[in-house]
Amino acid sequence: MTVDLAADAAAQERLCRFVAAAAGAGRATIAAIAPLRGGAIQENWSVDIDLEGGASSGRHALVLRTDAPSRVAASHGRAEEYALLKLARAAGVAAPEPLWLCRDPAVFGRAFYLMRRVPGVAAGHRIVKDLSLGGPRDALAERLGQELARIHAVTPGTIARLAPGQSFDFLTPSSAHPGLDRVRVYRRYLDDLGAPHPALEWGLRWLELNSRPASEITLVHQDFRTGNYLVDGQGLTAILDWEFCAWGDPMSDIAWFCAKCWRFGASDREAGGIAARAPFYRGYEAASGRPIDPASIHYWEIATHVRWAVIALQQAARHLSGAQRSLELALTGRLLPELELEILNLIDAAEGKAA
Amino acid sequence: MTDKPDGAALLEEARRTLVEVLLPLLPPERRYDGLMVANAMAIAAREAGQGDAARREGLKMLSALFGESGATAGPTTDLHAQLLDLEDRLARKIRAGLCDAPGPHRDAVRACLRRSVVARLRLSNPKALS
Repeated sequence: MTVDLAADAAAQERLCRFVAAAAGAGRATIAAIAPLRGGAIQENWSVDIDLEGGASSGRHALVLRTDAPSRVAASHGRAEEYALLKLARAAGVAAPEPLWLCRDPAVFGRAFYLMRRVPGVAAGHRIVKDLSLGGPRDALAERLGQELARIHAVTPGTIARLAPGQSFDFLTPSSAHPGLDRVRVYRRYLDDLGAPHPALEWGLRWLELNSRPASEITLVHQDFRTGNYLVDGQGLTAILDWEFCAWGDPMSDIAWFCAKCWRFGASDREAGGIAARAPFYRGYEAASGRPIDPASIHYWEIATHVRWAVIALQQAARHLSGAQRSLELALTGRLLPELELEILNLIDAAEGKAA
Repeated sequence: MTDKPDGAALLEEARRTLVEVLLPLLPPERRYDGLMVANAMAIAAREAGQGDAARREGLKMLSALFGESGATAGPTTDLHAQLLDLEDRLARKIRAGLCDAPGPHRDAVRACLRRSVVARLRLSNPKALS
Protein backbone atom coordinates (compact mmCIF):
# COMPACT_ATOMS: atom_id res chain seq x y z
CA MET A 1 0.00 0.00 0.00
CA THR A 2 1.32 3.43 -0.93
CA VAL A 3 -0.42 6.50 0.42
CA ASP A 4 -0.45 10.07 -0.84
CA LEU A 5 -0.73 11.65 2.56
CA ALA A 6 -1.63 15.12 1.30
CA ALA A 7 -4.67 13.83 -0.62
CA ASP A 8 -5.83 10.97 1.59
CA ALA A 9 -8.16 12.12 4.38
CA ALA A 10 -8.47 8.62 5.86
CA ALA A 11 -4.66 8.26 6.09
CA GLN A 12 -4.48 11.68 7.75
CA GLU A 13 -7.09 10.57 10.26
CA ARG A 14 -5.11 7.40 11.03
CA LEU A 15 -1.96 9.50 11.40
CA CYS A 16 -3.71 11.86 13.85
CA ARG A 17 -4.97 8.96 15.97
CA PHE A 18 -1.46 7.50 16.08
CA VAL A 19 0.12 10.83 17.07
CA ALA A 20 -2.50 11.56 19.73
CA ALA A 21 -1.91 8.16 21.33
CA ALA A 22 1.89 8.37 21.04
CA ALA A 23 2.00 11.89 22.50
CA GLY A 24 -0.53 11.16 25.22
CA ALA A 25 -2.79 13.90 23.88
CA GLY A 26 -6.59 13.92 23.76
CA ARG A 27 -6.70 14.92 20.14
CA ALA A 28 -4.36 15.62 17.23
CA THR A 29 -5.25 17.58 14.10
CA ILE A 30 -3.19 18.37 11.03
CA ALA A 31 -2.77 22.10 10.49
CA ALA A 32 -0.58 21.83 7.38
CA ILE A 33 0.99 19.07 5.33
CA ALA A 34 3.28 19.21 2.27
CA PRO A 35 5.78 16.89 0.61
CA LEU A 36 9.45 17.76 1.12
CA ARG A 37 12.00 17.23 -1.62
CA GLY A 38 14.02 14.59 0.14
CA GLY A 39 16.62 12.05 -0.73
CA ALA A 40 16.07 9.48 -3.42
CA ILE A 41 15.66 6.76 -0.83
CA GLN A 42 12.87 7.91 1.47
CA GLU A 43 9.86 10.16 1.36
CA ASN A 44 9.65 13.17 3.63
CA TRP A 45 6.59 15.19 4.57
CA SER A 46 6.47 18.48 6.40
CA VAL A 47 3.59 18.26 8.89
CA ASP A 48 2.24 20.78 11.39
CA ILE A 49 0.19 19.06 14.07
CA ASP A 50 -1.97 20.62 16.80
CA LEU A 51 -2.17 18.59 19.99
CA GLU A 52 -4.94 19.16 22.51
CA GLY A 53 -4.51 17.93 26.07
CA GLY A 54 -1.51 16.15 27.55
CA ALA A 55 1.95 17.43 28.32
CA SER A 56 2.78 18.46 24.74
CA SER A 57 -0.35 20.50 24.02
CA GLY A 58 0.12 23.06 21.25
CA ARG A 59 1.37 23.21 17.65
CA HIS A 60 4.28 21.02 16.61
CA ALA A 61 6.36 21.56 13.46
CA LEU A 62 7.38 18.06 12.38
CA VAL A 63 8.88 16.02 9.60
CA LEU A 64 7.41 12.61 8.77
CA ARG A 65 9.87 10.20 7.17
CA THR A 66 8.83 6.98 5.50
CA ASP A 67 10.47 4.47 3.19
CA ALA A 68 10.24 5.14 -0.54
CA PRO A 69 8.68 2.42 -2.75
CA SER A 70 12.09 0.87 -3.48
CA ARG A 71 15.33 0.85 -1.56
CA VAL A 72 19.06 0.84 -2.05
CA ALA A 73 20.87 -2.09 -0.52
CA ALA A 74 22.58 -1.21 2.77
CA SER A 75 20.24 1.62 3.66
CA HIS A 76 18.46 1.16 6.98
CA GLY A 77 14.70 1.23 7.40
CA ARG A 78 12.95 3.90 9.39
CA ALA A 79 12.89 1.98 12.70
CA GLU A 80 16.68 1.64 12.61
CA GLU A 81 17.10 5.26 11.59
CA TYR A 82 14.91 6.32 14.52
CA ALA A 83 17.20 4.44 16.91
CA LEU A 84 20.25 6.04 15.27
CA LEU A 85 18.83 9.54 15.73
CA LYS A 86 18.35 8.85 19.43
CA LEU A 87 21.89 7.51 19.64
CA ALA A 88 23.29 10.54 17.82
CA ARG A 89 21.56 12.94 20.21
CA ALA A 90 22.83 10.97 23.19
CA ALA A 91 26.33 11.35 21.72
CA GLY A 92 25.85 15.13 21.58
CA VAL A 93 25.46 15.38 17.80
CA ALA A 94 23.18 18.09 16.40
CA ALA A 95 20.66 15.59 14.96
CA PRO A 96 16.93 16.31 14.69
CA GLU A 97 14.93 15.13 17.71
CA PRO A 98 13.06 11.91 16.91
CA LEU A 99 9.61 11.87 18.55
CA TRP A 100 7.43 8.90 17.62
CA LEU A 101 8.06 5.74 15.62
CA CYS A 102 5.18 3.80 14.03
CA ARG A 103 5.88 0.26 12.86
CA ASP A 104 2.22 -0.53 12.17
CA PRO A 105 1.74 -0.68 8.38
CA ALA A 106 -2.01 -0.17 8.84
CA VAL A 107 -1.45 3.55 9.45
CA PHE A 108 0.59 4.57 6.44
CA GLY A 109 1.40 1.45 4.45
CA ARG A 110 5.01 1.48 5.62
CA ALA A 111 6.90 2.19 8.83
CA PHE A 112 7.48 5.88 9.53
CA TYR A 113 8.57 8.20 12.28
CA LEU A 114 8.07 11.82 13.16
CA MET A 115 10.86 14.14 14.22
CA ARG A 116 10.98 17.78 15.14
CA ARG A 117 11.41 19.97 12.08
CA VAL A 118 14.66 21.90 12.16
CA PRO A 119 14.75 25.15 10.19
CA GLY A 120 17.43 25.54 7.57
CA VAL A 121 18.61 24.80 4.05
CA ALA A 122 20.24 21.52 3.03
CA ALA A 123 20.56 21.87 -0.77
CA GLY A 124 24.26 21.49 -1.52
CA HIS A 125 24.37 23.65 -4.64
CA ARG A 126 22.72 26.53 -2.71
CA ILE A 127 24.96 26.27 0.36
CA VAL A 128 28.07 26.24 -1.81
CA LYS A 129 27.02 29.34 -3.79
CA ASP A 130 25.05 31.44 -1.30
CA LEU A 131 27.49 32.83 1.27
CA SER A 132 24.66 34.35 3.33
CA LEU A 133 23.93 30.78 4.46
CA GLY A 134 25.77 28.90 7.16
CA GLY A 135 27.64 31.80 8.74
CA PRO A 136 31.42 32.27 8.33
CA ARG A 137 32.58 29.30 6.28
CA ASP A 138 35.71 28.41 8.21
CA ALA A 139 33.67 28.31 11.42
CA LEU A 140 31.04 26.12 9.71
CA ALA A 141 33.72 23.68 8.50
CA GLU A 142 35.30 23.57 11.96
CA ARG A 143 31.92 22.93 13.58
CA LEU A 144 31.22 20.11 11.11
CA GLY A 145 34.56 18.59 12.04
CA GLN A 146 33.53 18.69 15.70
CA GLU A 147 30.15 17.09 14.94
CA LEU A 148 31.82 14.28 13.02
CA ALA A 149 34.22 13.72 15.93
CA ARG A 150 31.18 13.25 18.21
CA ILE A 151 29.76 10.64 15.84
CA HIS A 152 33.08 8.82 15.88
CA ALA A 153 33.11 8.85 19.69
CA VAL A 154 30.43 6.14 19.40
CA THR A 155 32.35 2.85 19.42
CA PRO A 156 31.46 -0.79 20.05
CA GLY A 157 32.66 -0.03 23.59
CA THR A 158 30.54 3.09 24.26
CA ILE A 159 27.31 2.38 22.38
CA ALA A 160 25.56 0.41 25.12
CA ARG A 161 26.07 3.23 27.60
CA LEU A 162 24.76 5.85 25.14
CA ALA A 163 21.60 3.93 24.20
CA PRO A 164 20.77 1.48 26.98
CA GLY A 165 18.46 -1.37 26.00
CA GLN A 166 18.57 -0.63 22.26
CA SER A 167 20.02 -3.27 19.95
CA PHE A 168 22.28 -2.07 17.17
CA ASP A 169 22.82 -5.49 15.65
CA PHE A 170 21.58 -4.01 12.38
CA LEU A 171 24.83 -2.01 12.00
CA THR A 172 27.08 -3.76 9.50
CA PRO A 173 30.11 -5.03 11.43
CA SER A 174 33.67 -4.22 10.39
CA SER A 175 36.77 -6.34 10.30
CA ALA A 176 40.15 -4.81 11.16
CA HIS A 177 40.41 -4.11 7.40
CA PRO A 178 37.35 -1.97 6.59
CA GLY A 179 38.76 -1.26 3.11
CA LEU A 180 38.77 -4.95 2.21
CA ASP A 181 35.25 -5.36 3.63
CA ARG A 182 34.09 -2.66 1.25
CA VAL A 183 35.85 -4.15 -1.75
CA ARG A 184 34.06 -7.46 -1.18
CA VAL A 185 30.66 -5.80 -0.84
CA TYR A 186 31.02 -3.53 -3.89
CA ARG A 187 32.22 -6.40 -6.08
CA ARG A 188 29.15 -8.36 -5.06
CA TYR A 189 26.90 -5.38 -5.89
CA LEU A 190 28.57 -4.97 -9.29
CA ASP A 191 28.18 -8.67 -10.01
CA ASP A 192 24.49 -8.47 -9.06
CA LEU A 193 24.00 -5.54 -11.43
CA GLY A 194 25.52 -7.58 -14.22
CA ALA A 195 27.25 -5.14 -16.57
CA PRO A 196 31.08 -4.86 -16.65
CA HIS A 197 32.71 -1.69 -15.28
CA PRO A 198 36.46 -1.88 -15.92
CA ALA A 199 37.25 1.55 -14.42
CA LEU A 200 35.49 0.64 -11.17
CA GLU A 201 37.34 -2.70 -11.14
CA TRP A 202 40.56 -0.70 -11.51
CA GLY A 203 39.59 1.27 -8.42
CA LEU A 204 38.50 -1.82 -6.47
CA ARG A 205 41.71 -3.68 -7.23
CA TRP A 206 43.75 -0.67 -6.10
CA LEU A 207 41.74 -0.50 -2.87
CA GLU A 208 42.32 -4.22 -2.36
CA LEU A 209 46.09 -3.97 -2.83
CA ASN A 210 46.54 -0.81 -0.78
CA SER A 211 44.24 -1.49 2.16
CA ARG A 212 45.69 -1.00 5.60
CA PRO A 213 44.11 -1.99 8.91
CA ALA A 214 42.05 0.78 10.54
CA SER A 215 43.67 2.29 13.60
CA GLU A 216 40.23 2.19 15.21
CA ILE A 217 36.69 1.04 14.47
CA THR A 218 33.92 3.54 15.24
CA LEU A 219 30.40 4.35 14.19
CA VAL A 220 30.58 5.90 10.72
CA HIS A 221 27.78 8.01 9.26
CA GLN A 222 28.63 7.10 5.67
CA ASP A 223 26.82 10.05 4.10
CA PHE A 224 28.29 12.98 6.04
CA ARG A 225 28.57 15.64 3.35
CA THR A 226 27.32 18.96 2.06
CA GLY A 227 23.69 18.37 1.11
CA ASN A 228 23.05 16.30 4.23
CA TYR A 229 23.26 19.00 6.88
CA LEU A 230 21.06 21.99 7.51
CA VAL A 231 22.26 25.57 7.90
CA ASP A 232 20.50 28.83 8.63
CA GLY A 233 21.90 32.36 8.38
CA GLN A 234 24.11 31.84 11.43
CA GLY A 235 25.50 28.34 11.02
CA LEU A 236 24.79 24.64 11.37
CA THR A 237 21.34 23.57 12.59
CA ALA A 238 21.33 19.78 12.06
CA ILE A 239 23.10 16.71 10.68
CA LEU A 240 20.70 14.66 8.55
CA ASP A 241 20.37 11.32 6.73
CA TRP A 242 21.48 8.60 9.11
CA GLU A 243 20.31 5.65 7.04
CA PHE A 244 23.77 4.40 5.97
CA CYS A 245 25.43 4.21 9.43
CA ALA A 246 27.72 1.25 10.04
CA TRP A 247 30.89 0.29 11.91
CA GLY A 248 34.02 1.32 10.04
CA ASP A 249 37.17 3.40 9.71
CA PRO A 250 36.52 6.97 10.89
CA MET A 251 38.83 8.26 8.13
CA SER A 252 36.25 7.07 5.58
CA ASP A 253 33.76 9.74 6.73
CA ILE A 254 36.36 12.52 6.56
CA ALA A 255 37.27 11.49 3.01
CA TRP A 256 33.58 11.28 2.01
CA PHE A 257 33.07 14.86 3.20
CA CYS A 258 36.11 16.17 1.32
CA ALA A 259 35.90 14.09 -1.88
CA LYS A 260 35.60 16.03 -5.14
CA CYS A 261 32.22 14.49 -5.98
CA TRP A 262 30.64 16.24 -2.97
CA ARG A 263 31.94 19.76 -3.55
CA PHE A 264 29.01 20.77 -5.79
CA GLY A 265 31.27 22.34 -8.37
CA ALA A 266 33.36 24.35 -5.87
CA SER A 267 36.35 22.07 -6.46
CA ASP A 268 38.91 24.42 -4.95
CA ARG A 269 37.15 24.41 -1.56
CA GLU A 270 38.13 20.88 -0.69
CA ALA A 271 36.10 20.54 2.51
CA GLY A 272 32.64 19.92 1.07
CA GLY A 273 32.78 22.90 -1.31
CA ILE A 274 32.53 25.28 1.67
CA ALA A 275 36.09 25.77 2.97
CA ALA A 276 39.67 24.57 2.83
CA ARG A 277 40.43 21.28 4.53
CA ALA A 278 42.37 22.96 7.35
CA PRO A 279 39.46 24.28 9.45
CA PHE A 280 37.48 21.03 9.00
CA TYR A 281 40.50 18.93 10.00
CA ARG A 282 41.28 21.29 12.88
CA GLY A 283 37.75 20.97 14.31
CA TYR A 284 37.87 17.20 13.95
CA GLU A 285 41.33 16.67 15.41
CA ALA A 286 40.73 18.98 18.37
CA ALA A 287 37.41 17.36 19.27
CA SER A 288 38.47 13.74 18.67
CA GLY A 289 42.12 13.78 19.70
CA ARG A 290 42.64 11.59 16.64
CA PRO A 291 45.21 12.78 14.09
CA ILE A 292 44.20 12.74 10.41
CA ASP A 293 46.59 10.79 8.18
CA PRO A 294 46.66 12.22 4.61
CA ALA A 295 47.57 8.85 3.04
CA SER A 296 44.57 7.23 4.68
CA ILE A 297 42.34 10.09 3.47
CA HIS A 298 43.65 9.61 -0.08
CA TYR A 299 42.81 5.91 0.13
CA TRP A 300 39.31 6.64 1.37
CA GLU A 301 38.71 9.33 -1.26
CA ILE A 302 39.25 6.68 -3.91
CA ALA A 303 36.89 4.44 -1.93
CA THR A 304 34.39 7.33 -1.77
CA HIS A 305 34.21 7.64 -5.55
CA VAL A 306 33.95 3.88 -5.99
CA ARG A 307 31.17 3.68 -3.42
CA TRP A 308 29.22 6.61 -4.88
CA ALA A 309 29.61 5.08 -8.35
CA VAL A 310 28.23 1.74 -7.14
CA ILE A 311 25.32 3.48 -5.38
CA ALA A 312 24.66 5.55 -8.52
CA LEU A 313 24.46 2.33 -10.54
CA GLN A 314 22.01 0.91 -7.99
CA GLN A 315 19.92 4.09 -8.12
CA ALA A 316 19.80 3.92 -11.91
CA ALA A 317 18.86 0.23 -11.69
CA ARG A 318 15.83 1.12 -9.56
CA HIS A 319 14.65 3.29 -12.44
CA LEU A 320 15.66 0.87 -15.20
CA SER A 321 13.92 -2.09 -13.55
CA GLY A 322 10.71 -0.08 -13.33
CA ALA A 323 10.67 -0.39 -9.53
CA GLN A 324 10.70 3.40 -9.24
CA ARG A 325 10.55 5.42 -12.44
CA SER A 326 12.31 8.74 -11.85
CA LEU A 327 14.29 11.16 -13.99
CA GLU A 328 16.52 11.94 -11.01
CA LEU A 329 17.43 8.27 -10.56
CA ALA A 330 17.89 7.88 -14.31
CA LEU A 331 20.30 10.82 -14.52
CA THR A 332 22.23 9.49 -11.52
CA GLY A 333 23.30 6.62 -13.78
CA ARG A 334 25.00 9.14 -16.05
CA LEU A 335 27.25 10.38 -13.24
CA LEU A 336 29.42 7.31 -13.72
CA PRO A 337 32.14 8.65 -16.03
CA GLU A 338 32.71 11.71 -13.86
CA LEU A 339 33.24 9.52 -10.79
CA GLU A 340 35.41 7.08 -12.74
CA LEU A 341 37.62 9.89 -14.05
CA GLU A 342 38.31 10.99 -10.48
CA ILE A 343 39.12 7.39 -9.50
CA LEU A 344 41.68 7.23 -12.33
CA ASN A 345 43.12 10.63 -11.37
CA LEU A 346 43.49 9.73 -7.69
CA ILE A 347 45.14 6.39 -8.49
CA ASP A 348 47.49 8.04 -10.98
CA ALA A 349 48.45 10.55 -8.27
CA ALA A 350 49.08 7.72 -5.79
CA GLU A 351 51.26 5.91 -8.34
CA GLY A 352 53.19 9.03 -9.34
CA LYS A 353 51.71 9.10 -12.86
CA ALA A 354 50.85 12.52 -14.27
CA ALA A 355 47.25 12.54 -15.55
CA MET B 1 15.14 10.24 -48.11
CA THR B 2 15.21 11.67 -44.62
CA ASP B 3 12.95 14.49 -43.50
CA LYS B 4 14.65 17.53 -42.07
CA PRO B 5 15.33 18.51 -39.34
CA ASP B 6 16.57 15.18 -38.03
CA GLY B 7 15.96 13.85 -34.53
CA ALA B 8 19.10 15.32 -32.99
CA ALA B 9 18.34 18.77 -34.38
CA LEU B 10 14.72 18.57 -33.17
CA LEU B 11 15.88 17.59 -29.72
CA GLU B 12 18.27 20.53 -29.61
CA GLU B 13 15.55 22.97 -30.65
CA ALA B 14 13.10 21.48 -28.14
CA ARG B 15 15.69 21.93 -25.42
CA ARG B 16 16.28 25.54 -26.41
CA THR B 17 12.53 26.20 -26.13
CA LEU B 18 12.43 24.49 -22.74
CA VAL B 19 15.33 26.50 -21.34
CA GLU B 20 14.51 29.89 -22.85
CA VAL B 21 10.70 29.89 -22.91
CA LEU B 22 9.34 27.38 -20.41
CA LEU B 23 11.87 27.29 -17.60
CA PRO B 24 11.30 30.93 -16.57
CA LEU B 25 7.55 30.18 -16.26
CA LEU B 26 8.01 27.27 -13.84
CA PRO B 27 7.31 27.86 -10.14
CA PRO B 28 10.54 27.77 -8.08
CA GLU B 29 9.79 24.35 -6.56
CA ARG B 30 9.57 22.80 -10.06
CA ARG B 31 12.66 24.48 -11.46
CA TYR B 32 14.91 21.55 -10.55
CA ASP B 33 12.67 19.19 -12.53
CA GLY B 34 12.92 21.55 -15.51
CA LEU B 35 16.70 21.62 -15.26
CA MET B 36 16.83 17.81 -15.07
CA VAL B 37 14.70 17.53 -18.21
CA ALA B 38 16.99 20.00 -20.00
CA ASN B 39 20.03 18.01 -18.90
CA ALA B 40 18.54 14.70 -20.06
CA MET B 41 17.72 16.25 -23.45
CA ALA B 42 21.24 17.63 -23.80
CA ILE B 43 22.75 14.19 -23.17
CA ALA B 44 20.34 12.53 -25.60
CA ALA B 45 21.07 15.18 -28.26
CA ARG B 46 24.83 14.67 -27.93
CA GLU B 47 24.39 10.91 -28.23
CA ALA B 48 22.06 11.19 -31.21
CA GLY B 49 24.49 13.56 -32.93
CA GLN B 50 27.35 11.15 -32.44
CA GLY B 51 25.75 7.88 -33.50
CA ASP B 52 27.96 4.83 -33.03
CA ALA B 53 31.25 6.72 -32.98
CA ALA B 54 32.01 6.22 -29.26
CA ARG B 55 31.24 2.49 -29.40
CA ARG B 56 33.33 1.96 -32.51
CA GLU B 57 36.20 3.88 -30.92
CA GLY B 58 35.88 1.85 -27.71
CA LEU B 59 35.84 -1.40 -29.62
CA LYS B 60 38.93 -0.43 -31.60
CA MET B 61 40.80 0.52 -28.47
CA LEU B 62 39.90 -2.61 -26.50
CA SER B 63 40.63 -4.86 -29.47
CA ALA B 64 44.08 -3.31 -29.70
CA LEU B 65 44.61 -3.87 -25.98
CA PHE B 66 43.74 -7.54 -26.37
CA GLY B 67 45.87 -7.80 -29.49
CA GLU B 68 42.92 -8.50 -31.77
CA SER B 69 42.55 -6.77 -35.12
CA GLY B 70 38.98 -7.61 -36.19
CA ALA B 71 35.70 -6.50 -34.68
CA THR B 72 35.32 -3.06 -36.15
CA ALA B 73 32.55 -3.35 -38.74
CA GLY B 74 29.17 -4.99 -38.42
CA PRO B 75 25.69 -3.85 -37.45
CA THR B 76 25.01 -1.91 -34.24
CA THR B 77 23.69 -4.86 -32.21
CA ASP B 78 26.89 -6.83 -32.84
CA LEU B 79 28.92 -3.77 -32.02
CA HIS B 80 27.27 -3.46 -28.63
CA ALA B 81 27.66 -7.17 -27.83
CA GLN B 82 31.31 -7.19 -28.90
CA LEU B 83 32.07 -4.12 -26.83
CA LEU B 84 30.37 -5.61 -23.76
CA ASP B 85 32.32 -8.82 -24.22
CA LEU B 86 35.66 -6.99 -24.35
CA GLU B 87 34.76 -4.79 -21.38
CA ASP B 88 33.81 -7.89 -19.45
CA ARG B 89 37.15 -9.52 -20.27
CA LEU B 90 39.04 -6.40 -19.18
CA ALA B 91 37.03 -6.12 -15.96
CA ARG B 92 37.78 -9.76 -15.08
CA LYS B 93 41.45 -9.34 -15.91
CA ILE B 94 41.78 -6.33 -13.64
CA ARG B 95 39.94 -8.06 -10.80
CA ALA B 96 42.13 -11.17 -11.16
CA GLY B 97 45.23 -9.03 -10.65
CA LEU B 98 46.55 -9.52 -14.19
CA CYS B 99 47.14 -5.78 -14.66
CA ASP B 100 48.88 -5.14 -11.32
CA ALA B 101 52.56 -5.20 -12.27
CA PRO B 102 53.98 -1.71 -12.92
CA GLY B 103 55.11 -1.42 -16.53
CA PRO B 104 53.92 -1.04 -20.12
CA HIS B 105 50.90 -3.34 -19.84
CA ARG B 106 49.52 -1.60 -16.75
CA ASP B 107 50.10 1.76 -18.41
CA ALA B 108 48.32 0.60 -21.59
CA VAL B 109 45.30 -0.46 -19.53
CA ARG B 110 45.48 2.84 -17.65
CA ALA B 111 45.43 4.80 -20.92
CA CYS B 112 42.62 2.69 -22.35
CA LEU B 113 40.44 3.22 -19.26
CA ARG B 114 41.04 6.96 -19.36
CA ARG B 115 40.12 7.27 -23.03
CA SER B 116 36.95 5.29 -22.52
CA VAL B 117 35.92 7.32 -19.48
CA VAL B 118 36.66 10.63 -21.21
CA ALA B 119 34.65 9.58 -24.28
CA ARG B 120 31.63 8.77 -22.09
CA LEU B 121 32.08 11.95 -20.08
CA ARG B 122 32.04 13.95 -23.31
CA LEU B 123 28.47 12.69 -23.75
CA SER B 124 27.25 12.83 -20.14
CA ASN B 125 28.85 16.02 -18.87
CA PRO B 126 31.42 17.67 -21.16
CA LYS B 127 31.72 20.61 -18.74
CA ALA B 128 33.55 18.31 -16.32
CA LEU B 129 36.36 18.04 -18.88
CA SER B 130 37.10 21.75 -19.09
